[in-house]
Amino acid sequence: MTSAHPPPAPGRELSNPPTDGISNLRFSNHSDHLLVSSWDKTVRLYDASADSLRGEFMHGGPVLDCCFHDDSSGFSASADNTVRRIVFSHGKEDILGRHDAPVRCIEYSYAAGQVITGSWDKTLKCWDPRGTSGQERTLVGTYPQPERVYSLSLVGNRLVVATAGRQVNVYDLRNMSQPEQQRESSLKYQTRCVRCYPNGTGYALSSVEGRVAMEFFDLSEASQAKKYAFKCHRKSEAGRDIVYPVNAIAFHPVYGTFATGGCDGFVNVWDGNNKKRLYQYSKYPTSIAALSFSRDGRLLAVASSYTFEEGEKPHEPDAIFVRSVNEIEVKPKPKVYPNPPA
Amino acid sequence: MGKKKKRVPSKVWCYYCDREFDDEKILVQHQKAKHFKCHVCHKKLSTAGGMAIHVLQVHKESVTKVPNAKPGRESTDIEIYGMQGIPPDVLAAHYGEEEEAPSKAAKLDIPSTQLVGGLMPGPLGVGYPPQSTLGAVQPMYNAAVPIPPVGWAVPPRPQPWLPQHPAASVPLSAPMGYVQQPLFPVQGVRPPLAVPSTSPSLQPSQIAPPGLPVSTPTLPVSQPLFPVVNNSVPTQSSPFSASLPTSVPEGKGSIEAHSSGSASLTGGAGGNSHSYASGPNTGGPSIGPPPVIANKAPAIQPAVNEVYLVWDDEAMSMEERRMSLAKYQMHDENSQMSSIDAAIDRRILESRLAGRMAF
Repeated sequence: MTSAHPPPAPGRELSNPPTDGISNLRFSNHSDHLLVSSWDKTVRLYDASADSLRGEFMHGGPVLDCCFHDDSSGFSASADNTVRRIVFSHGKEDILGRHDAPVRCIEYSYAAGQVITGSWDKTLKCWDPRGTSGQERTLVGTYPQPERVYSLSLVGNRLVVATAGRQVNVYDLRNMSQPEQQRESSLKYQTRCVRCYPNGTGYALSSVEGRVAMEFFDLSEASQAKKYAFKCHRKSEAGRDIVYPVNAIAFHPVYGTFATGGCDGFVNVWDGNNKKRLYQYSKYPTSIAALSFSRDGRLLAVASSYTFEEGEKPHEPDAIFVRSVNEIEVKPKPKVYPNPPA
Repeated sequence: MGKKKKRVPSKVWCYYCDREFDDEKILVQHQKAKHFKCHVCHKKLSTAGGMAIHVLQVHKESVTKVPNAKPGRESTDIEIYGMQGIPPDVLAAHYGEEEEAPSKAAKLDIPSTQLVGGLMPGPLGVGYPPQSTLGAVQPMYNAAVPIPPVGWAVPPRPQPWLPQHPAASVPLSAPMGYVQQPLFPVQGVRPPLAVPSTSPSLQPSQIAPPGLPVSTPTLPVSQPLFPVVNNSVPTQSSPFSASLPTSVPEGKGSIEAHSSGSASLTGGAGGNSHSYASGPNTGGPSIGPPPVIANKAPAIQPAVNEVYLVWDDEAMSMEERRMSLAKYQMHDENSQMSSIDAAIDRRILESRLAGRMAF
């Protein structure tokens, strides 16, 4: 009987979590180090396997995003409008530059060797981190966006920017003078998160209305016919549907399947090609704010951190869970053909 | 096989709703989830009668009809479990149907059976290369859905044979009763798509075409997932931008207005008209979200589920709203304080790392 086998523990809870909400967390590409940005104005570096806090870096305001450069340094995006570079080993950080409003997203492009930030000041900025700090030296370019930037994702030379008002810009990093594509989200509700497929053919976009759209860059009819959207992170009770925002999407680096996390506290793993849900982890104490797979896909970090979707209210403590990922939870299953009738 | 006598069916089927399943275990699971489930507490009982008794004793309510059952099969008195207990006349009628040329299928109340290529295996065979998952469609059973393991057997190309029977689009507006189910069935479990027996004919195309005419083969995939408030979905992008301004009282135009509002918000002015309410309905956004009808079909709906959006503020993101809280306001003196804090914290961190502090 395909019963719901008792789910394994939600994962190991990391010690010394941030003291306020977690805005994002990322695994390094080189090790099992985890970088965590928080509303408590810190960026923390953990060794997820060893469950140890390796560093903590204060900012002038809530930190809304963070990313690794390499295993020794990273970058952060803060609500104090600054973009910072953090050198972990030296415990030092310096300001790479500023926006005119809180910086919401940050990514580092290995392909371009640049830091890319998106802000609520409706611009995208590219920075060259090799220069010394100071906005004059490091700022490569400023690119106006139709609206406040809500989410960013990179793959190869492509950059996807999702803004308020459901706009989506796709850029080629080699030519930032104008977007390669200007699109509108297929979903009717506010965009929450975009993530590009690891294979570079498209991106997944989630909204506040419990839905994820699977999109493709190739504008040919054949490719566009593959696009679809599905509902998720919803609960039905007493005759009404409760629809939760899908806050986080993370792609498994090996299998290309992806996990989504919502305000309902659940993490689902999906096979986008076969359009199936592969797994649902047991419910976390509160909303899922962020997700990240480790570079080999064997660990999944889950930020269980109330995201204020219902205003200020008492909530479960913000926590980070690191769980080992079983193949069966993330590996796509081959299509099964029913036996032909006798 | 030429035996015409009562034979072991290649598929078992549900007495209450005529849907078909590959094996009895799955059938029982289906019955428990759809017919024997208490509508109050969702407890799954083992029979319809048991469910009725439970509802009466525990919730003090009387149930007279089996949920999700077809007319004539709704009695809670008849004891069905899997394939056991089905009265012989119903059994015979079911197999009598099966034996007939499927295209006649008189008993079926859904003329859309014609849709399955008129049940001529020809077009089906032509339309679907062998490795397509549509091989799952067995032309012989027009009766209840044998859900193939692939919940989404949607070919990317348009269905050549689809537009044959546009008239048959009528029954397709039969509702998706369970819209809230994730449309991604979990592998290995037959998803009990509660589409009443229209589905078999639709399998190869749209599993759940919610009220959308079948004759739009260009949207095989996306149709069911885009609950269109209007009825027409000619293209994928336009309906959404079209419907948004009409249903959202303040459409995109006002988002501009709000963005300037929010800019001042983050500057520390604190709340224009936005403030957190303490109740579950978040801070009374001035933009009311469209009254989303989660069920797509405009007509023929069993029960329209009311949709409650946990975050319904179109103008601001959750982070922007959170930022407006007093505790996150950053005035200049705060920044100064923060840098002092930063220095102190750095020293604390260094001490920690050096192992001098017990932390």
